[in-house]
Amino acid sequence: MGTLSNIYNNVSFALSLHTEAMARLQEQVATGSQINRPSDDPSAAYRVLGLNSQKSLLENYMDSLVDVVSLLDISSTAIDSMKHALSKVTARLTGISGSSGAGGIAGEVDNWLESIVSSANTNRMDQYLFGGSNTGSAPYAVTRTDGKISSVTYQGSLGDRNIEVAPGVESSAFYVGDNIFRSHNRSTPIFPGDTGAAAGTGTSNVSGDVWLTVREKGGGGYELSIDDGDSWFDAGGANVAVEHSTTKEVLYVNSSNITGTGTDWVRVPGTYDIFNTLITIRDRLETEGGLTIAELEELRHNALSSLAELDNLLLQSSVSMGSKIGFLDDLKDSLNNRKYDTEDEVTRLQQADIAQIAIDLSRREVLYQMSLAVAAKLMSLSLLDFIV
Amino acid sequence: MANYDIGISGLEAAQRALDVIGNNLANVATEGYHRQRIELTPAYSSQIGSVLLGGGVNIAGITRMIDTLLEQEILREQSLLEAVSQESITMRTVENAFGELSTGNSLSATIDEFFNALQDLSAHPGQAIWQNQAVTTAEVMASRFRTLGEFLSTLENQIKLEAENTIEQINALITQIAELNDKIESMEIGGAQANDLRDKRDQYITELSGFIGIETLSREYGVVDVTVGGIPVVIGASVIELEVGLDENDELGITIAGAYSYNTNVQGGRLGGLLSLKNELVSDIYKDLNDLASAIVQQVNQYHVQGVGSEGSFTGLTGWVMADEDFADFEPPITSGSVFIRVTDTTVPGTTTITRHEIDIAANPTLSDFADYITNNITGLTASVTSSRLSISANANYEFDFLPGVLSDPTTSNLNGDAGSSIPTVTISGIYTGTASQTYTCTVVGDGEVGNDDDLKIEVRIGTDLIKTLDVGSYAAGDRLEIGDGIYVSVGTGQLNNGEIFTIEALASSDTSGVLAAVGINTFFYGSGASDIAVCSDIAATPGRVATALGADMTDNANASRLAGLRDQAVSSLDSMAPGEFYHRMITDVGQQLSVKQMRQDNIEVMVQNLLNQQSEVSGVDINDEAAQLLIFEQMFQAMAKYMATIQSTVAALMEAM
Repeated sequence: MGTLSNIYNNVSFALSLHTEAMARLQEQVATGSQINRPSDDPSAAYRVLGLNSQKSLLENYMDSLVDVVSLLDISSTAIDSMKHALSKVTARLTGISGSSGAGGIAGEVDNWLESIVSSANTNRMDQYLFGGSNTGSAPYAVTRTDGKISSVTYQGSLGDRNIEVAPGVESSAFYVGDNIFRSHNRSTPIFPGDTGAAAGTGTSNVSGDVWLTVREKGGGGYELSIDDGDSWFDAGGANVAVEHSTTKEVLYVNSSNITGTGTDWVRVPGTYDIFNTLITIRDRLETEGGLTIAELEELRHNALSSLAELDNLLLQSSVSMGSKIGFLDDLKDSLNNRKYDTEDEVTRLQQADIAQIAIDLSRREVLYQMSLAVAAKLMSLSLLDFIV
Repeated sequence: MANYDIGISGLEAAQRALDVIGNNLANVATEGYHRQRIELTPAYSSQIGSVLLGGGVNIAGITRMIDTLLEQEILREQSLLEAVSQESITMRTVENAFGELSTGNSLSATIDEFFNALQDLSAHPGQAIWQNQAVTTAEVMASRFRTLGEFLSTLENQIKLEAENTIEQINALITQIAELNDKIESMEIGGAQANDLRDKRDQYITELSGFIGIETLSREYGVVDVTVGGIPVVIGASVIELEVGLDENDELGITIAGAYSYNTNVQGGRLGGLLSLKNELVSDIYKDLNDLASAIVQQVNQYHVQGVGSEGSFTGLTGWVMADEDFADFEPPITSGSVFIRVTDTTVPGTTTITRHEIDIAANPTLSDFADYITNNITGLTASVTSSRLSISANANYEFDFLPGVLSDPTTSNLNGDAGSSIPTVTISGIYTGTASQTYTCTVVGDGEVGNDDDLKIEVRIGTDLIKTLDVGSYAAGDRLEIGDGIYVSVGTGQLNNGEIFTIEALASSDTSGVLAAVGINTFFYGSGASDIAVCSDIAATPGRVATALGADMTDNANASRLAGLRDQAVSSLDSMAPGEFYHRMITDVGQQLSVKQMRQDNIEVMVQNLLNQQSEVSGVDINDEAAQLLIFEQMFQAMAKYMATIQSTVAALMEAM
């Protein structure tokens, strides 16, 4: 038996369902999203949460990449400026025709040295680019004598600072200056001088250019020094360890064939650093009394060899940076594509289908009105209306 | 005068029937009212010969139109509906509080931002702006954890209060049911029918089923006994009152008042929903949130305690107030392992001496023992325990830290040189990347000067395994040689002799016990769960203390990278999931449960709706039906009145004839 109560219950229930459904549809239209809370679609919500995290991570990686590329660009520019400076020095040395112009060139070399040190101490937003993991202080400390740079010492870190720029991909944005401005391909020292000293059999650990002084020893024989005579070692063997009294570095010398005294310029190929090489060149050019033609030629020959080695070193660094920048740019594009894919998937999962919502809303609206209309019709008439 | 009796019985039956109809119509909108019907039976007055003559009509009774089985099913389903509805509403509140997918400041986003900030910090470990960002995002994340923790804690309290209110209402209802049982029984023993009282009592039972799942047992004279969760709360006119409380497992349950024997497994009704929320749903979410916060605190702290920030080593550190000073009573207990303290001594101008000291936890099992060991055995450091807080401080010109890895000098060495040549200086450098602490034993093979004898080698072993042979005879003394796992050795000029040994101890962790993180020494986070997680005040005040470095020069980003890597690191206490993944699963579970409960609620609502319609068909008042009945009995009354008039007229005619 149907009762008015049944009709009321049914209408009330139907209206409640329709209202709830329309409220849900209205929320989807208002937010543009069909998933506004996890319970709307738990499995899709799980994926959306994961994708949102992934998107956030990718954006962070991309920010890191932009930062690293920017640092590498600046580093590359600094190295290019160093290469430019070296090429200028090389050009000036090549053009020397007599000792008279050497002093003027020394001044130019000194300027280029200042420029190169400044480039090596380049910083961006308070981070030094060539100090390895130590970005907080200038990697190269300068000692000056009479206002001129007399030595340049690396005080940065020997460790790289690797930064994760993509999942599982690390890149170093801060180069270890000691690695890129100093050659690490040690060869046997070259003794181009005329004292007769030659390389010993031991592995010397001196670097760059060394001045070997040979003097006669009282009572016969010779003595050797690499620290301007602060300490002397007896010659007389095929492998004399000549130690610097301050740095404790050792030059192994074959003194068997020494026939004369003097100061030999000993070169250790594969160990040059850009700063001390320029200091040596400058100081040689500034030699009091000028250089003889032979000395000038020796200087030019040795200096050009050293500069060529350093130029090659900088070229390698420059190529390495360029290659890294290219790789990181590609990586950035790849991450960008992944980010867009992630956003697309989030949109596909979460975005509301407005057309479908409009259809659903219309349908619900019709049902809502019909529920009311039918109920009104049914409840408006009863047998009582016919009892007179 | 049977004729008069017949007429009077008909008139009376019609009047009572009209009363019943009127009463039905009057209660058409009364909730819980069951339609009544008058039961009429023919009356027999006499037998003449073989003919049985009728004596009019008897009123056999007035019956409630009720389907008992249907009513029981409605009670059961409504009870379930209330329980599920309560659970849905509360779970919806929880879901909204977490705000995932609807607000930008969700916990998921703050966790991502925190780990992103650590990753940024790994790129710029020494820069204040990134240190501040790491601290700020950590504070935002911690704040979000606390907000949610406090919300869930408050919600649990509210659920308990709501349960207490509900039980009061239940007690009031069972009292009323018992009272009505008493009245109904009294009336019906006397032969009366207490339909309206039964309706009223049944209405209370229906209300009771909304509060809690019940079982009813009907007895004679209209008495109904009620049982709740196995406890007979109404037996006839007797009542057993209930109360709610927490059992020894902190679970909410009901018990007979004063008995303290809690039944936590109560099904149905609002109370069933509240108990389910307190004991399972909300408590599980709260536990998961606490586990997540705790895991982040522990994971970050275990790495953080070992590193140093741009501020460098420490001159003083103070830990948390501990509930207990005995390490074995810590939660989790700490019974073994060691803490390694690195001390930097600059008391001699121009000279820096770094030493490392091991504190064995098994031999120093309390905070005080630990502090005493430091004070008595480590030069330059003083430690104390005040109000259960460990403090370590360095004397003037001393500093300390807990950096793992290697020291610059060998741990042990028996290099002797010889009369004509100095002892080579051995220097260790690099950041140890191994996952387990190792001791490298370096043995000289051959005799000769470093860099001057081609056959001179150093064999590097871990245990008996040869891992590297260093050619120190033909190398430039002082150059760095890698021995593996990020460690480098350089050997200066001098004489090495066959069989001489030096060792290098490389620590993967400077705290294998977990004491530092447990007592709050050099920790990043404070707290043990969602309600109290916070960034340590020292870190918040000095972001340069964020421990980014592990290397001896303290400029590297190894620790910052390690901290950032925690984002993807599976944690055993999080079901072997990474923090973000665990949280996503947790919040999705909330959504899943809510979705299932919502579907169940919808289904039960439809079922209840159908049952109520069915009940309405059986017991409801239909105006049309009542109007038809009204016409029937109106006409019956009119007919009987006419009949009485006819009898009267017949008798009058007879009297006149006489």
